[in-house]
Amino acid sequence: MATREAGKKMIMLKSPDGMEFEVEEAVAMESQTIRKMIEDDCADTAILIPNINSKILSRVIEYCNKHVPTTGATGAAASDTVAPAALAEDLKIWDAEFIKVNRATRFNLIQAASYLNIKGLLDLTSQTTIDTISDNSLEEIRSFLSTKNDYLPEEEQTIRRENQWAFQ
Amino acid sequence: MDDQQLLLGISRSDMLARIERCGRDPAMLDLGSNMLLHFAYEYLPDPPVSPTAPLSLAGASWVPDGVDRISRLPDVLLRDIISRLPAKDAARTPALASRWRPLWRSAPLALVDSHMLPDGGASGPLIIGAPSPRAVTAAVSSALAAHPGPFRCVHLTCSTMDEHRGEMARWIDTLVAKGVQDLVFVNRPWPMDLRLPATLFSCASLTRLYLGVWTLPGTAAVPRGASFPNLRELGLCMTVMEDHALAFLLERSPVLEFLLIMWSQTGARLRLVSHSLRCLQLGYTHLEDIEVVDAPRLERLFLRNVSLPGTGKFTMNSPSRIKIGRAPNLRVLGYIQPGQTELGISNTDIVARSKENIVPSVQILAIEVQFGVRNAVKKVPGFLRCFPNLETLHVHSPRISEKSTGKVNLKFWQEGGPMKCVVQSMKKVFFYEFQGSRSEVAFLRFIAERGRVLELMVVVVAKACFSSVDDDVNVKLKPLTGAKWNSKACKLQIIESPRTDVAGPLCRHKIASDFGWADPFDLRYYKEERISVS
Repeated sequence: MATREAGKKMIMLKSPDGMEFEVEEAVAMESQTIRKMIEDDCADTAILIPNINSKILSRVIEYCNKHVPTTGATGAAASDTVAPAALAEDLKIWDAEFIKVNRATRFNLIQAASYLNIKGLLDLTSQTTIDTISDNSLEEIRSFLSTKNDYLPEEEQTIRRENQWAFQ
Repeated sequence: MDDQQLLLGISRSDMLARIERCGRDPAMLDLGSNMLLHFAYEYLPDPPVSPTAPLSLAGASWVPDGVDRISRLPDVLLRDIISRLPAKDAARTPALASRWRPLWRSAPLALVDSHMLPDGGASGPLIIGAPSPRAVTAAVSSALAAHPGPFRCVHLTCSTMDEHRGEMARWIDTLVAKGVQDLVFVNRPWPMDLRLPATLFSCASLTRLYLGVWTLPGTAAVPRGASFPNLRELGLCMTVMEDHALAFLLERSPVLEFLLIMWSQTGARLRLVSHSLRCLQLGYTHLEDIEVVDAPRLERLFLRNVSLPGTGKFTMNSPSRIKIGRAPNLRVLGYIQPGQTELGISNTDIVARSKENIVPSVQILAIEVQFGVRNAVKKVPGFLRCFPNLETLHVHSPRISEKSTGKVNLKFWQEGGPMKCVVQSMKKVFFYEFQGSRSEVAFLRFIAERGRVLELMVVVVAKACFSSVDDDVNVKLKPLTGAKWNSKACKLQIIESPRTDVAGPLCRHKIASDFGWADPFDLRYYKEERISVS
């Protein structure tokens, strides 16, 4: 993890259960929601993040810390030091580790990523759900997701017929 | 050149008959066209949805715990998840449970037809001669009809549209009516000159458009006032168009930033006028004349002109002339072959107030120089003088098949007039596929002895140069390593090339248009991949 350089602007994030997290502004701004608050000058002292408990918020901050670009605002990769491809590979491995959490946490992370508008985290957390749905039968998906089929058999038949091409 | 012209406007059977009359193997036709198609597919953007997980998430636990958490997610999130699914999987979700029923229709559609092939497109593009997959074509029709739009992305690359002319017209009508943002539409040959319906030009919702193996509609047929007000990226692969079609397209695309023309069958001239374009890529095009007339935002101009691996026949010639007019932000340029291309500069920028033929904005230049051909090397100094602020120079040294026509020694470089960029601004020099000739060493030594601010010189030594028995790379490079370097701080790196079948400079078209790469020719860390043609 990057060591904090002196002079970097810090932001205080507060979870509804009363925990406070001091993070670099650049890290917090990985969240488009927070970025907007900062840019609109609504973030003078501390930002309260509603609906996201401290446990989830700390994981989100961990993610943002890892993913904050190290090369500054230009977005240009410093190809003399670290290869962009190698860096991306490293992040992928880190992501795969990061997402090894239980289902409750994962769904909380999806919601947090959505509220805070952190695209990378939303992509990552949604991907496991997408993998579950991809290429599996309806019965398998329902079983994986613990979703109850509340259709009558004839109702389900009608709905299947509406998108018959997808079942062929 | 004749070979590529023949591919157009001619039926497959006529083509085969011609090949047989010439006493060649008819199988060559499919082999050749497969190779061309392979290049075209290589240039297409990757779809944003994928049937296989892009992440290695095998370790993520997915043990059912009996709680239906996903149904508790808000609609907006479920729609987001649905729109990331391959089209068939997404279209099945309404049948899961009533919670899911309304969501598919209100989630933007992502339709990639190759995902609907029996193997999900895993084996790559279809080969020529393979029958058009009728089930996939039918499913595309159903999906486009069933979904109310908008369409986030529609990538259609599998069908032989000549067999489905009715679908072709209906699909485009639907795409226009329901609003597609990202469209890739590649026709399967033959014939190679099927005309695209002009109605596509009314598709104002497009932000990215890639067309492949089409004849563009005549501009007279395009509806009046039709334009692409949101189009940022346009790719034309193996398309035939009228001479002025490109100018017409640019005029109707006021926010276009990225333009790719690959294997164009357009007229021999390209005149670029665009106030929005930032990156122009020309891949395997056969253009005699390229003129950047007025492109105030243009930052990158890429040319990729190489002979295809393994075939001497399909050698792509460089344009014979590149003329740079008003391009005050052009920073990256290459690969150009000084031996074949004449560089014309007509800098009409009043700010420059200079009569000199220079492009002061260019910082990164890539050239391909045949060091065994005296006339080619002699053009290099003139080229370098055009770019007085050059910071990075990439030089590719192709293997010479014909006999060397004279060496160019150090004296040649020393006796010419000064090259401002070499002395004052050049920081990095990359030399690829060093063959070990004295001409190459003389050039590198000249730069080393003159370059005042040189920081790095990388010499990538060709595999062939390493493998010859009594040739020692160190001996060959001695004049360079032993030279009196003007910049004491400069690092010299000598690397063995990983490439075996070198068919031209290494280029990555996706990096070319990726502004995250400061120097898109610097591919030192990029994993080398070989192109396999089935």
